[in-house]
Amino acid sequence: MAEAAYTVASDSENTGEEKSSSSPSLPEIALGIDIGTSQCSIAVWNGSQVHILRNTRNQKLIKSFVTFKDEVPAGGVSNQLAHEQEMLTGAAIFNMKRLVGRVDTDPVVHASKNLPFLVQTLDIGVRPFIAALVNNAWRSTTPEEVLAIFLVELRLMAEAQLKRPVRNVVLTVPVSFSRFQLTRFERACAMAGLHVLRLMPEPTAIALLYAQQQQMTTHDNMGSGSERLAVIFNMGAGYCDVAVTATAGGVSQIKALAGSPIGGEDILQNTIRHIAPPNEEASGLLRVAAQDAIHRLTDQENVQIEVDLGNGNKISKVLDRLEFEEVNQKVFEECERLVVQCLRDARVNGGDIDDLIMVGGCSYIPKVRTIIKNVCKKDEIYKGVNPLEAAVRGAALEGAVTSGIHDPFGSLDLLTIQATPLAVGVRANGNKFIPVIPRNTMVPARKDLFFTTVQDNQKEALIIIYEGEGETVEENHLLGYFKLVGIPPAPKGVPEINVCMDIDASNALRVFAAVLMPGSSSPVVPVIEVRMPTVDDGHGWCAQALNVKYGATLDLITLQRKM
Amino acid sequence: MKCYKSSSILSTNHHPFFYKQQPISSLQPTSIPTTISYPTRTRFSSTRIQSRLTHDDPVKQSEDLSFYDLLGVTESVTLPEIKQAYKQLARKYHPDVSPPDRVEEYTDRFIRVQEAYETLSDPRRRVLYDRDLSMGFSFSFSGRRQNRYDQEVVEEKSEWKAKWQTQLSGLRRRSNQKDNNTMSWAARMRRQQQESS
Repeated sequence: MAEAAYTVASDSENTGEEKSSSSPSLPEIALGIDIGTSQCSIAVWNGSQVHILRNTRNQKLIKSFVTFKDEVPAGGVSNQLAHEQEMLTGAAIFNMKRLVGRVDTDPVVHASKNLPFLVQTLDIGVRPFIAALVNNAWRSTTPEEVLAIFLVELRLMAEAQLKRPVRNVVLTVPVSFSRFQLTRFERACAMAGLHVLRLMPEPTAIALLYAQQQQMTTHDNMGSGSERLAVIFNMGAGYCDVAVTATAGGVSQIKALAGSPIGGEDILQNTIRHIAPPNEEASGLLRVAAQDAIHRLTDQENVQIEVDLGNGNKISKVLDRLEFEEVNQKVFEECERLVVQCLRDARVNGGDIDDLIMVGGCSYIPKVRTIIKNVCKKDEIYKGVNPLEAAVRGAALEGAVTSGIHDPFGSLDLLTIQATPLAVGVRANGNKFIPVIPRNTMVPARKDLFFTTVQDNQKEALIIIYEGEGETVEENHLLGYFKLVGIPPAPKGVPEINVCMDIDASNALRVFAAVLMPGSSSPVVPVIEVRMPTVDDGHGWCAQALNVKYGATLDLITLQRKM
Repeated sequence: MKCYKSSSILSTNHHPFFYKQQPISSLQPTSIPTTISYPTRTRFSSTRIQSRLTHDDPVKQSEDLSFYDLLGVTESVTLPEIKQAYKQLARKYHPDVSPPDRVEEYTDRFIRVQEAYETLSDPRRRVLYDRDLSMGFSFSFSGRRQNRYDQEVVEEKSEWKAKWQTQLSGLRRRSNQKDNNTMSWAARMRRQQQESS
């Protein structure tokens, strides 16, 4: 096998448009990539429909892992595991989607310490230490690097099959990803020589596929059909996402999004803890056995588990479905909470829903199906999509639409109107989080708020930008900060400070700030424009340092405007 | 040197220091709000070969269109008609489907259409908007209205927060009116209607 070499791009932001190396007579194609926590797939618009590529073993679904044995990293795209347990020897790193962009205080990172590769934390808000066991020595890496290695192999596979260079991708991402995690994903793509056209929340990719199907069925009407409301529930190995969409005439409008970093991995860990003897370390054998048991419980009421742990211990027990549901009750409750929140945000009642779409590996779990059907008041689940292929098909469609490809039969007369999964706002009024762009705002979006000073003759204001849903800033992600300088001397409460946030169709966030004085019609100092996020690492540290250094001296307070 | 476009949707209303704010009903219908212009560059790096729209399709640059004009509907429009009009305009102006060389202006237009849709499809906000319209405020993007409509969204989620905010002394000097924050929405509406009558 040829070595998969890759070039690490510089860490600076890629401000120039990438030069196209394809023939000018051919439109630039964009791949759709769905990197799941446990397996991934890749698809492309082939001129008349979406085509899912297969690897050299004819697999559409490719395991998401990279092994570091023999000093040369190799991903799951081309590498063949001798057996399932080989991935559990410590030489392979998987679940990278769960680790990208997280700090070492994150409970998801701590849950990953059970995995066979090395995850170390100092619990101070820095990146976790990740290493693979190579020739009996731990070799360090980062989740972004692992992801980049994997993406290189995907790109090479696609280029070999399509016989042309591939640069543009639409990547699906979990709804709950913070902007910092999104930037790390983009960085991994850049390291792999790929340019991200769109990072698409996973259920919205499925919504686009659904919109195409609705469009095809009403295409003969030559007009927009009536609006259909759909709930899309997507639960894979690492994440659970929900969307409520209104679809008509090929336009998929995302009315609400909700997401949580829970998934099949949590169910697996709960099940392992339940069936393992006391003080038994989680082993590869146990993991494989638990995985197999969960799969069989989809069709059987109870399953027999027989594991020889090799250290004199044996497990021989029956796990029934009720027991399985009991030990995973918290996970299932979170699924229900997400759907309820999403329906409420969209101002939709369960009875108004036309279609319930369930995708992702965990959507096969009977308990999950029952819960979601009850909340949505649907007896049947929409059968028009393959639960394991829908997201990548939707991503490929988005790639074709965004690339400007035209289809004479109208198969690409589609549009997704995205929504923001999380609110973005400013620290003000002490330690409060003041949303400027609320959750579920349609994208592209541009909104602003007015603030004012808290001290007489205050000359500067510290604008600190956060993302999240908490009421105070500590509960949210720090995105960045900047100082607004040159405020003219005035009593507190007089200067008018406008903070404007702009999210474009590529989900890029820019923050503008301007100072106006009463009676003035233009900013008194040059406007500041900052691309967010500016904080690359150590969010917790940075927020604390800002607080220690500046306290409340440069604070803002909301300006109460009379109507 | 930065060049700021005039297509910004921002605008603000200013009062002199210590100036007492006039009741709404006394404002002149012909007043034109000033604007803050922020740069509207949209990073859009895909290579587009074909355009879904003809290049000579005009994008109106005028900012004095009402929300109804922006959606291309009459003031007696029904909610399903609003939704349909919005989706048709989205397929025209959304940056995903706009001509590559005109993404900026189409995005601006799309954001305005989106705001019109959000306001008119919410019955409560539509009532407020219709009232402003009948009083002669025909500009769809005055800062006054935008702040009011946007603030509703935030206030719905965090009305309790407003009750605990300290009233700014500087603002108190501007108005002898009672503090708005502790009143319910309905009470605020009733008081504003009394002021208008």
